[in-house]
Amino acid sequence: MKIRRSAWTLAGVVVFAALVASGVEVAQTSQQMRALFSRLSVNQAKQDALLHEHSRLLLERGALSAYQNVDRIAEDVLAMQFPDEVERIIR
Amino acid sequence: MNLWRHYLLVVCFGVCAAGLIGRVAYLGVTEHDFLKEQGEARSVRVATIPVHRGVIYDRHGEPLAVSTPSLSPWVDPSLTVLTRPQIALVAGVLDIAAQHLADRLENASGRQFAYLKRLIKPEVADALRALHIDGIRFQREYQRFYPAGEIAAHVVGMTDIDDSGQEGVELAMDAALRGRKGTKRVLRDRRGRTVRDLAYLSVPEFGHDVTLSLDLRLQFLAYRELKSAVEHNRAESGSLVMLDVDTGEVLALVNQPSFNPNTFDGRQASGVRNRAITDTYEPGSTVKPLAMLAALESGRFSENSVIDTSPGYFMIGHKLIEDPINRGRLSMAEILIKSSQVGVAKVALTLGARDVFDVYARAGLGDAPGTGLPGESLGKLTDVDLDKPIARAALAYGYGLMVSPMQLALSYLTLATGGVHRSATVFRQTAVGPAVRVFEERHVRSIVTMMEGVVGAGGTAPKAGVRGYRVAGKTGTVRKVSAHGYDDERHVAFFAGFAPVGTPKIVVVVVLNEPRGDAGGGGEVAAPVFSRVVARALRVLGIAPDGRETV
Repeated sequence: MKIRRSAWTLAGVVVFAALVASGVEVAQTSQQMRALFSRLSVNQAKQDALLHEHSRLLLERGALSAYQNVDRIAEDVLAMQFPDEVERIIR
Repeated sequence: MNLWRHYLLVVCFGVCAAGLIGRVAYLGVTEHDFLKEQGEARSVRVATIPVHRGVIYDRHGEPLAVSTPSLSPWVDPSLTVLTRPQIALVAGVLDIAAQHLADRLENASGRQFAYLKRLIKPEVADALRALHIDGIRFQREYQRFYPAGEIAAHVVGMTDIDDSGQEGVELAMDAALRGRKGTKRVLRDRRGRTVRDLAYLSVPEFGHDVTLSLDLRLQFLAYRELKSAVEHNRAESGSLVMLDVDTGEVLALVNQPSFNPNTFDGRQASGVRNRAITDTYEPGSTVKPLAMLAALESGRFSENSVIDTSPGYFMIGHKLIEDPINRGRLSMAEILIKSSQVGVAKVALTLGARDVFDVYARAGLGDAPGTGLPGESLGKLTDVDLDKPIARAALAYGYGLMVSPMQLALSYLTLATGGVHRSATVFRQTAVGPAVRVFEERHVRSIVTMMEGVVGAGGTAPKAGVRGYRVAGKTGTVRKVSAHGYDDERHVAFFAGFAPVGTPKIVVVVVLNEPRGDAGGGGEVAAPVFSRVVARALRVLGIAPDGRETV
């Protein structure tokens, strides 16, 4: 009879401990989830900013290397002209 | 001791507790699903995760269409009612009329979603956030930019405001470019703010990049020359197609009028149509080299054959076939060089009924060019009337069939390759696609030699010549059909050719529709465009001159 009572007490303690542990675990997990979610948001914002910069740089490079730009600089700035006659270049 | 009062209180509490427990049990057991559903419907939402649309590049990696992240601010008018001063502030930041915004919000008052403005820059979004107005939220979207603008508009195409392809490659490759939006289940609070992510339902997949076969440098050259020719000759429209002989890749494809894909106003114009692949014309004299090829194939003619075209006209039934002057006896080459209707018609009538038709069909006329662009026209090439001599003669000098500029370019590709047919494509090829030999090389070589004379001093198109390079080509000047038969006033001017003749690298077709200047024919209007574009393109491509050298 005595043994049975102490077994019950032990079981109760174990269940209680498990309950507390699982509660702590739930709190921890949801805290982790929140932290990860905020990291995800930060990363998404960073990704957006980088994509934005990348597309801007792509556009800028495209504008600078555009043939019309090269053509204009060659003719106006560097005073180059389009050859009418083809001449053989002998090294 | 008034114990009964004590018991009464206990009983009262007991009844209350039992009532509550009973209610909880009732709701929890019988109404559980309904309540859960209702609760979630108010707080759990499936949100989409927008993805970045792929970039479209030219063959050298120059961007032709780029998506950049944008934000679209919105409010829930059922929860947030902006005050007048707030609307004025917001309208100021967004650069829109305050009254217009107020009206729009007024109209949306019954709804739960109203955009303040679509697609604003991140800097503007920051300025809007700095106003600290409660209830303004941002939807992440992407805005499409086309750095080449009008220059490559017809090939690249465009998307609508919701980022789905509407024209050109944007439409043809929409599925690949678009990627796949992700979805997640989120918890929202009473005011619609996302409080936390519950679960990812599907992983977002970014759009794939697409690399085109276009060379933006050549595209620009072609655009500039065609535009100036269309303006100078006051033409209705114009098209230019440039193909790579070795691969069938489209190096340049331009049309006039064009449109600016970066503005929504620019898109309404008639310029959106990609005339080079959708519009068909009777090709006229430009197909004569193929008719002459049929003559060589038949074995009844050789390059040395001579045809008597005197007296410069003859009748087929009631139909008069005539040249501008009596050219007398002409060699095969001279028929092409002078573009003699009588000569070609006489040759065609000597051939088998299907000979010319078969050569056209093998050259790809009447077939889909296979560029991968939407709206490709098949043109018209039919063998229905081949038993009638007039139909056979007309076919040989390019009437009674319809071809698109792209199809014409492909048929010239078979000549430039020495008799090998390829499909055209607007996508960069890593390996050379299948090639089918459709003509014997010796026949094609003879025709190409004859075509070189066309751009010579005595030909119809000396203006198509390119200094330093050997060029082969053919002009065409075609009267347009109106309600009363062929119209003498309206016509289409063509020049089709390739260079350098030694080892052809590019095929170029120029079409000017209804030029109204003093000069009208293909040799006067289209040939100079061909010459200027080819001269620059060959240098841009670094192709060595094969013509006469001057030291």
